[in-house]
Amino acid sequence: MKNMKWLVLSVFVATFFIVSCGQKEEAKVEEKKEAAEAMVYKLGMCLAITGPTSDAGDPMSKGAKDYFRYVNDMKLLGEDKLECDIRDDQYKTENTKRNFEDFLDQGIVFYLNYSTDSTQSLKKDIEEEKIPTTPASYHAGNLVDADYIFLPIASYSAQAIGLAEYIVKNHTGGTPKVAMYVHSSAFGRAPVADVKKAVAAGLDMEIVVVVEHGKDLDNTAMLKRLSKKGVQYIICQTTQSPVATMLKDASRLGLVAKTFGEKGKITFTGCHYTGGNDLVALAGPAAENFYWTTSFNITSEPGVWTDAQLAIAKQYGRNEKTAKSHNYSGGIMMAQVATEVILRAKARGKKITREALYDELLAMNGVNAFYPVVTVGPVTYSKTDKAGVDTLQLYAVKNGEFKSVGKPFIPEYTGKIK
Amino acid sequence: MMSYFFQLLVSGIVVGSIYALAALGFVLIYKSSKVLNLAHGQIIAAGAFITYALTGWVGIPIYLSFLLSMVITFFLAMSVEKIFLRRLIGEPIISIIMVTIGLMSILDGIIFLTPFGSVNFSFPQFLPQELISFGGVSISWTQLVGVIITAIMIGGFSWFFKKSTVGISMRAVSDDQFASMSVGISVPRVFGLAWATAGLSAAAAGGIIGNITGLNFETLQAFGITVFPIVILGGLDSILGAVVAGIIMGVIQQFASGYLDGNFGLNGTAEVLPYIILLIILLFKPHGLFGIHEIERV
Amino acid sequence: MSTNRWLATGNYFTSYKDEQRIFITHLDRTFFSIFISLLFIWPLLFKLSNKYMLVIDNILIAIVAIIGLNIVTGFAGLISIGHAAFMGVGAYTVASFARTLGDSHVIITHAWPLLILLSGLTGAVFGAIVGLPAMRLKHLYLAMATLSFQMIFTWTINFLEFFNQGQTIAISNVFWFTGKLGRKDHYFFWYYVLLVVVILSGFMVRNLLRTRYGRCLGAVRDNDRAADAMGIHPGLTKVYAFGLAGFFAGIAGALHAYVYRGVGFESFTLHHSITYLAMAIVGGLGTLHGSFWGPIAIMTLELQMESFAEYAGRILPSDWNLATALKPLSFGLVIVLFLMFEPRGIANWWRIARSYTKLWPFRY
Repeated sequence: MKNMKWLVLSVFVATFFIVSCGQKEEAKVEEKKEAAEAMVYKLGMCLAITGPTSDAGDPMSKGAKDYFRYVNDMKLLGEDKLECDIRDDQYKTENTKRNFEDFLDQGIVFYLNYSTDSTQSLKKDIEEEKIPTTPASYHAGNLVDADYIFLPIASYSAQAIGLAEYIVKNHTGGTPKVAMYVHSSAFGRAPVADVKKAVAAGLDMEIVVVVEHGKDLDNTAMLKRLSKKGVQYIICQTTQSPVATMLKDASRLGLVAKTFGEKGKITFTGCHYTGGNDLVALAGPAAENFYWTTSFNITSEPGVWTDAQLAIAKQYGRNEKTAKSHNYSGGIMMAQVATEVILRAKARGKKITREALYDELLAMNGVNAFYPVVTVGPVTYSKTDKAGVDTLQLYAVKNGEFKSVGKPFIPEYTGKIK
Repeated sequence: MMSYFFQLLVSGIVVGSIYALAALGFVLIYKSSKVLNLAHGQIIAAGAFITYALTGWVGIPIYLSFLLSMVITFFLAMSVEKIFLRRLIGEPIISIIMVTIGLMSILDGIIFLTPFGSVNFSFPQFLPQELISFGGVSISWTQLVGVIITAIMIGGFSWFFKKSTVGISMRAVSDDQFASMSVGISVPRVFGLAWATAGLSAAAAGGIIGNITGLNFETLQAFGITVFPIVILGGLDSILGAVVAGIIMGVIQQFASGYLDGNFGLNGTAEVLPYIILLIILLFKPHGLFGIHEIERV
Repeated sequence: MSTNRWLATGNYFTSYKDEQRIFITHLDRTFFSIFISLLFIWPLLFKLSNKYMLVIDNILIAIVAIIGLNIVTGFAGLISIGHAAFMGVGAYTVASFARTLGDSHVIITHAWPLLILLSGLTGAVFGAIVGLPAMRLKHLYLAMATLSFQMIFTWTINFLEFFNQGQTIAISNVFWFTGKLGRKDHYFFWYYVLLVVVILSGFMVRNLLRTRYGRCLGAVRDNDRAADAMGIHPGLTKVYAFGLAGFFAGIAGALHAYVYRGVGFESFTLHHSITYLAMAIVGGLGTLHGSFWGPIAIMTLELQMESFAEYAGRILPSDWNLATALKPLSFGLVIVLFLMFEPRGIANWWRIARSYTKLWPFRY
């Protein structure tokens, strides 16, 4: 017993020793870099690599990491280097805040954040520090009272409205009856309010019911209730897992529409975080004919853009699942925007500061729009438009893969409800 | 409207019996050692992942790997008890509960080492996809099999505790550790066995839940907390209680989401209702429905 | 009373009053005063970066919360798995003012000490209400009552529009005599506020334990029937323990709201409750200074593991998940090993160290 105590103690001591050694080495590396007289631009990223939602956060962190490495390896910034610390916050706001303060102490010029909650709780600090930030949460509420927060792609609200518009356009025979299936938090509810506004502004559809889900193991009754009420479309705004459970039940009940808007059946549609390969992995064949909208190009629709993504993944030894994840694209895209503004500011001979990068972001429109290969449209920012890629693409699962449906589009009602 | 009512009822019973299976492991540990196992959700998830790994990566037929994963978790849980908890026999209960919190973190870490931590999977479909319908009420094969497995497991454990010598010695230990030691029962062995059987039933629950929801770590481990109100309603140490309470909770949840949600401006009531019921039970019938009346009133 | 007021070489107490003094010798008191003044002086001497100041603030908030948790779990022996929810009650008291009056109303920015106190009282009320089942329940069943409060709290916050459905409700910076606090001084300022709160709460609990009410708690924990026989009402005592715990939690929650300048439900989840329980146990249940050790130990451990994982991530192949998995893994391992080998918590080490220095160079 006594010996064991010492063992534990020595393990402690050894751990601390290793850690402190590690930090010293790090310091040495930095010294060397400064000796080379090239600039090092610091960035920070904080997301949930472990803990809740890590199925999205993990590939995203890898995407961002790989792109920054690519920039440095290819010397896209000449002799200058990007240094982006990527930290795991385990989806805890306290950790995010601590890392954010740490990044500020290190003098970062651009910040990449993750969850809705942490973005909102950091909002005041971001505004006061005037640090340009892109969160991986596309929650429209992130932009309220915020100047320095830039959503990478269209907000969840815009996505839901886009789906609603698509439903209205492609529905035949009267007003479509729609249900919304949402996460029981602000993340899920915000789009509901905005879709309702769009309906009030003249979008010809009827929201029959809004379902907030829990940890349901059985949705049979709910689905039967909806189909009895004549619901033909469901717009989902949540994470993949609950959608997968619902789809499984629906496909068993034979409720899933084979074609968009099939009579007597239900067409399931969803926003960014409901879809992707993760959904197919969770729901299996039941995911068939699920309609999903996002702003990213996906690897099941091969093209030059996805080739680029796969090439980066291959170069840095990522496995197939990561390489094909749309969250990996999400990470790459956030890193691309950050790199692009630094490149532009550098090209104009400006000193790389938060101010300069903020100005570059605001100027990113019209001719100056930025075309990251992983998205379906250009990134445009301005004083009034803080959502990056406004273009959305609709995908549907066919034979176990998401395939494009129609051309990329921009929802009209997002402008009308402002 | 009647068929809607019956559908809710049947769905509730089905979901409830799966809850009961998830709660069973929890009850087994509590029954013999009075420990609340907060790492239960992680064990459920681990059971599901082992089943998938055996089928998806090793290529064993899913029926076999389902059984095999139960065997593996049986021994895993037993060794967990041996390594971490054996030493704490005789320490205050709260230290042991705390160890299960530590275990939770360790298991999280181990699962994040594997792809399961951050990638989603689903079991291959091995059951017929058709529905089983009767009079407008329908359930799926997965659910039916789940209910059957639950029934077998719970029947088996009830028999085990009522009739077999080992089971009776486990009950003796839960009643009075010193007295049972004095009649020659090995208390550590009983604890080990309790954890092992809990692991076994957790793996079964994991397999079934994983089949319904798909293999997402976050979703699976959340069931560790979901079982709390059920075991309290049933009485912490009663297997029959877990079954009845599981079914009651399942039915209540289904009725809540079926009739309350969307009316009266309410939504998502199925999530919170079990806990409100829990508080009410604690106020009026603290030992649950089937718990032993040894609760001391203060 | 020993003749030497500076060193006590043995037990010379002649009255209960003597024995109950907070400082037995002058030496104790001097050391303590020096220690406290050092705590006040050091931030002036060398500036710590915002990150570490935030970490320290966070530890102090946790200490206030753990002092509360230790009253209910340590002194009264009732496991509470809902402590974060009580903190949430405090934080949302501040938040509801911000919601109704606007986040930079004078009450929030100027009358913040009152508001923090009010949050404590709200926490106490909720604590007592949740503790009500204690009139009939014992042991784990009570833990379940706190768990259900935790769940109901989360749902309510998430559901009600008034609480912004759990999204962050901003709290403005406060005013001090020097004017409105800027970002630069924010953590620095709150360090002092927190320090004062921690010292006050420490003395409060220390004094509480010297009174009848404090001794009631221990009596009920150790044997409630005996306590009953001696005229203590065990049920009421438990309710009142919950009330006290709620009070400290409420204060901690309000402080959390101010330090983090916002209230969101993500900071008050079940996971946090479990972490607080871990802190209380690692520190040592049923001891006052255990409430200080626990948060310090767990939070520095977390920080160390984070930098260790980061360091490991740099040397290990990037496709491995090892580095990220290392953090929860090592964290859990440390807690488990600690409990296996030192179930009485760090407070026990402190006791051993103290008696060792007292007796040095002699051993028992």
